[in-house]
Amino acid sequence: MATTTATISISSGDLIPGSNLSVNASSTLMKAGLTTGLTQLRTGYESIATGTEFRLGPLATETSGSVHDIASWVYICNKATDDTYYIDWGIHETMIGRLYAGDWMFIPWNASDDDAEIEIEAQNGTQTIEYAFFASDLVLPTAAS
Amino acid sequence: MATINATVSINSDISSYPVNINSSMTMMKAGLCTGLDETTGLRTKKFTSTTDAVIVEHDELTDDKAHKVYIRNTSSSKEYFFYVAYNASAAAAGTAEVIGKLYGGDWMLFPYDGNVNITVASSTTETQTLEYMVFADGVVAAKG
Repeated sequence: MATTTATISISSGDLIPGSNLSVNASSTLMKAGLTTGLTQLRTGYESIATGTEFRLGPLATETSGSVHDIASWVYICNKATDDTYYIDWGIHETMIGRLYAGDWMFIPWNASDDDAEIEIEAQNGTQTIEYAFFASDLVLPTAAS
Repeated sequence: MATINATVSINSDISSYPVNINSSMTMMKAGLCTGLDETTGLRTKKFTSTTDAVIVEHDELTDDKAHKVYIRNTSSSKEYFFYVAYNASAAAAGTAEVIGKLYGGDWMLFPYDGNVNITVASSTTETQTLEYMVFADGVVAAKG
């Protein structure tokens, strides 16, 4: 069994006057509802042009055949350095947030169906992202005949 | 201006070569090199039903900004989870837009535009606890 561990540390000495903020958490990524570790991985480092919404990663039907709603995890980091650049990210047609230059995000993604894909769109300039999908199943697209 | 640093470390032996992802960020205001300096505070909430609930109300935050949301299921069970959704009403399970499922011990951090509520729904009537915090790029003061 593979073991994937994700650890976060958030700290600030001046966000809350008179109190140091220190949030720390660590989790081992498991298959949905199980204590068995995730076993599949897809990583990338790609340049994203502006003006188009792109799908990042697989469709639900490419993650586990006919069985969706699984426990996948997504890490994305925007490697841009211009403070005005950001990546809109969302699920399907709904944008949820802006991943600005230098920012990272880490989320569970349940891929309930093919309309639950992760979408991204670069704003203000071409940007490079680094990403990783940790999943219990990834299915390659069928080759064209 | 405050300085809020967030670091992630992901280590895995899924592949034959070690995967070691390490990334740090200082949370900045949208389009600026000025740090976020507001928060809704760290909150802890117990859930004992599957009723959907809003944990982040978007009207407390400025729209279209660079907020960050941290959520952790502090329970230990890998059987139960919370749906986490970006949703206008308090309906997380099975409705758009569900982001994912947060099982016991799992955490997530994501950028949030502040335009729609963040809702959750527990998968069980067993007690589960969430801790969550918004690092805000603009908090809207409550009207008197």
